[in-house]
Amino acid sequence: MKEPSVQYQVALFESVSHVMHAERILKEAHVPHKLIPVPRIISSDCGVCIRFLPEHSEVLENTLAGKVEGFEIRQL
Amino acid sequence: MSEIIDAKGLACPEPVILTKKALEAHGDIVVLVDNTTAMENIRRLASNAGCSVEIADEAEGIFRIHLMKQGGGTPGNLTPEYLSCNTDAPLAAAGPTVFVIASDTMGRGNDELGSVLMRAFIHTAAELESLPDVMIFYNAGVKLTSEGSDVLDNLKKLEEKGVTMLVCGTCVNYFNLTGKVAAGVVSNMYDIAGILSRAGRIVQP
Repeated sequence: MKEPSVQYQVALFESVSHVMHAERILKEAHVPHKLIPVPRIISSDCGVCIRFLPEHSEVLENTLAGKVEGFEIRQL
Repeated sequence: MSEIIDAKGLACPEPVILTKKALEAHGDIVVLVDNTTAMENIRRLASNAGCSVEIADEAEGIFRIHLMKQGGGTPGNLTPEYLSCNTDAPLAAAGPTVFVIASDTMGRGNDELGSVLMRAFIHTAAELESLPDVMIFYNAGVKLTSEGSDVLDNLKKLEEKGVTMLVCGTCVNYFNLTGKVAAGVVSNMYDIAGILSRAGRIVQP
């Protein structure tokens, strides 16, 4: 399958509940993002994560800081 | 003298496409295929195009399909029912694979979780190697096709890959989304019921 040419980043969370909580916060703050399944290259678990463009990385991290515990940013 | 189309070894839907092209140029063709899916799809295409169809076993696993135009008919468009490509599931050969999206959530129990799951499903569907032929959206499923939907990019990608998308017009009206459908074609119960009734496989997440 052809990969998108854009180099996205993803935020991984400790649980689906954390993802949903983070998504609510990001939507309220109008931070562009997309909820996707965790890519297979990262995990084979059935999970979801939040994908975003690198230019939104800083605002995303700042928006979630102190509100959502233990998330991790990865390059796709 | 029949025009001979050797479609053995070709991946679906190539045999059907070759047959359609040949029928546009010739009135008498013989198509050789090596799987029952292609054979059934070509038989259906030919019948709808007003051709006589004779099928013989050429050799082990190879079918010789003799098509002759009976006048008046044309191959028409290659609608999904001719292009069902799943040779692993014989039942699917009888009609298109249809994904039915009957809600904007997946499963029952918690709607917020269900929304997460449905969006993940649609995202994944767009990356599948074996795509559906048709996706039908009804009830709250139509919200996914409308402006502001988180999966519009995935649905547009599916459309670009040739997936036909039917969106229930009654449902669009009910949810006040008229004029806001941004993926698929607003359709009606005649088309939806027609596709469902001819489906080879129905998948409802």
